[in-house]
Amino acid sequence: MSLVTGTLNQYIQFVERMFRTSQGNILARLLSLRDDHVANRNLLSSDIATLVEGNCVAPLDEIIISHLLCVKSLYMKDFIDAYAHQSACVGSVVRLLQAQKEVNWGLPLMYTVCLDLRLVAQKAEARTPQSNGKILEKAAECLLACFRVCAADNRSSDADTKRLGMLNLVNQLLKVYFRINKLHLCKPLIRAIDSSPFKDQFPLAQQITYRYFVGRKAMFDSDYRSADEYLAFAFQNCHRNSLRNKRLILTYLVPVKMLLGFMPAKHLLQKYDLLQFWDLVSAVKNGDLRGIDKVMEEHENFFIRAGIYLIVEKLKITAYRNLFRKVYLAENTHQIDIACFQAALKVMGQDDVDSDETQCIVANLIFDGKIKGYISYQHKKVVVSKQNAFPPLSSLY
Amino acid sequence: MMSSYFDFFCKNIESAEDQNTDQIVGTCNLMCPEDEINLREVERLVHVLEVWGMERKLVKSYSRSAADSNMAVPHLLRPYAVLINTVQFLLLEITRRKDVPASVVYDFVDDRLRAVRQDMTIQRLPPEQCVNLLEPMIRFYVYYSHKLSNLPLKDYDPALNKKSLLECMKWYLSSCDTIDENKKLDELSGLLSHLDLNRNTKLTNDRVLIESLYIVCNLNDLHPLYRYVHHSKQLRREPKLQLAYEIAITNLQGNYIKVCRLLDKVCPLTYCALFTYLPTLQRNALEVLSHAYNNKRLTIPSEVLVHWLHFADEFEAQAVCAHYGLKVEKHAVRFDKTDFAGDSTLHQLKLDDNKKLGSQSNQKFEISIIDIFTYTTSK
Repeated sequence: MSLVTGTLNQYIQFVERMFRTSQGNILARLLSLRDDHVANRNLLSSDIATLVEGNCVAPLDEIIISHLLCVKSLYMKDFIDAYAHQSACVGSVVRLLQAQKEVNWGLPLMYTVCLDLRLVAQKAEARTPQSNGKILEKAAECLLACFRVCAADNRSSDADTKRLGMLNLVNQLLKVYFRINKLHLCKPLIRAIDSSPFKDQFPLAQQITYRYFVGRKAMFDSDYRSADEYLAFAFQNCHRNSLRNKRLILTYLVPVKMLLGFMPAKHLLQKYDLLQFWDLVSAVKNGDLRGIDKVMEEHENFFIRAGIYLIVEKLKITAYRNLFRKVYLAENTHQIDIACFQAALKVMGQDDVDSDETQCIVANLIFDGKIKGYISYQHKKVVVSKQNAFPPLSSLY
Repeated sequence: MMSSYFDFFCKNIESAEDQNTDQIVGTCNLMCPEDEINLREVERLVHVLEVWGMERKLVKSYSRSAADSNMAVPHLLRPYAVLINTVQFLLLEITRRKDVPASVVYDFVDDRLRAVRQDMTIQRLPPEQCVNLLEPMIRFYVYYSHKLSNLPLKDYDPALNKKSLLECMKWYLSSCDTIDENKKLDELSGLLSHLDLNRNTKLTNDRVLIESLYIVCNLNDLHPLYRYVHHSKQLRREPKLQLAYEIAITNLQGNYIKVCRLLDKVCPLTYCALFTYLPTLQRNALEVLSHAYNNKRLTIPSEVLVHWLHFADEFEAQAVCAHYGLKVEKHAVRFDKTDFAGDSTLHQLKLDDNKKLGSQSNQKFEISIIDIFTYTTSK
């Protein structure tokens, strides 16, 4: 059966046969925008609607019409139109799934049309800058309609429930929300997945994508321990040949790990082409505050694009801790003059910091548990604990 | 299936060039529609601030949109030019009235500004016009949040103020983003420089100020900082905005001393915004201090605390420390982490003449209320 050259009628019959025999995967391919049949111009008659309508079972005809109209619009490079058709296509698939009780073989079809919807919406978005995320937002609403059908299917048996399709959709939605910067909308989705009984049964690939996004969300909310957990899972389980994905995960995992006191090795950064972090690592290790500012300026665009600029700002606190630890080791005493710390700050380029502000920085480190001890205002000294005055950062979180 | 909203949106994109035909344009050339004037005169609903000697200057009041009332009536809506005049009148004339308490002025202006925003929404004013109307409103809310901060809840509700402030700010900022995206930046700066010429007589539009206020009004929130980071390099390098970012980052790092020092460098409205945050800052700082200076014998002199945490005087510093359960001695405070009562309610700072903007004894900001609404940060 050559779909690349067949007629429209042959195509319709083939789609209908796959539908009747419940062959979800093939059906999904037949209605994908990324399949070879899209190249077949025979399918793009001038009057698709009348030729298809009534020619096969409902609501399959609607799906086919929207699909082919979408292909046509894509050929004409009219992405807004293509988006409208694809969104109608998803709408019909939703109705199809709703009608199919106690079975879930339609899920692959849903995955495909939803993924295509997002891709088309991204295209449309790129062509219409004045939309400012509105098209993707609309696309997210379509995806949510699918999500509701899946999440509500709690009568079917565990093997046949459409709830198994939830994670795929959630991943699509997370991608959209991250793109249009509406992270607050992620929360209910994450809750739905985390409370799902199928949490650990979803395919590994989907789990990795999911945790990558949830990890980034946690990072955005300054919950670094969870971020570490999610991103580390994603990194360890990501396929070893997916270098690009592994690099993406590391872009976020490295700064989170650094905040938690684990510095990456140079060869790791080298392997994933992330040497931008190496200068930062050495600056933080040495308590070189001037160095941090320099790195931030140098790689500003990289840090901003990755959304980790503010984390790098937070790493300055770690740098203070490392710097003061060096002073403590050099002084080799448990009573250190504030003036010594102040002098060290001066060496690192913090000229405008006086005794009061130095005390303030130390006070915060003590409050966070990064230094064990207390300050005496009268004597202008920091008295540190005889044991473990600077506990390893990795032991604190 | 497409919703009507997306249809509308697509149509908007298609007909971006030609004017929106379905847009409602107001035709009311007074600050208050005639219908409302007549009604309120008859019903004796004229506000004391609308009486100017023998004259009456009524301003359209806010009314909730209800299902049975049609708000989209052109003769009840004021076009942009009238709205600008109305905002100008409210902020530059009404706020100067001394015959009623400040909280009454605030409630009145707040209500009338809300009606202005309603007219803006119904007429779907373009972002270029919205920013000019919203900018002075933001100044108003920030200024009065400071001025009224000592009043009891029945006279002034800070939560409602914050709500209105955020509404205006988000609207303003998203309008700016739309303008940026439409690449009409040249036009805006043209508009800005035009307005700068009219300094002290007319309202202005100072984007850098509003972007800074967005940061300092939300110091506990990272989102304004994410926004800052994504600005164009040119905007990020604006000294005032950079200062606001520095304050936020410094606050994030817990460096209370530097935050209080930077207080001396800020412009009057930024000061107002920071002042309402000051109690939170002081509370957090005292908690840090009670851990860091945790000692049964040692103390910190109260005057040092005044200096560190921007207290008015020793009495205030000691009173606040006592409020959180710390032991206060003659001229010093003893810090002990077990004493610190973190669950006490947040303390309030008394607003004496030294801190009040526009008062004679506040040398830092000898500024009139008119200047508050018209000064620009760029020099």
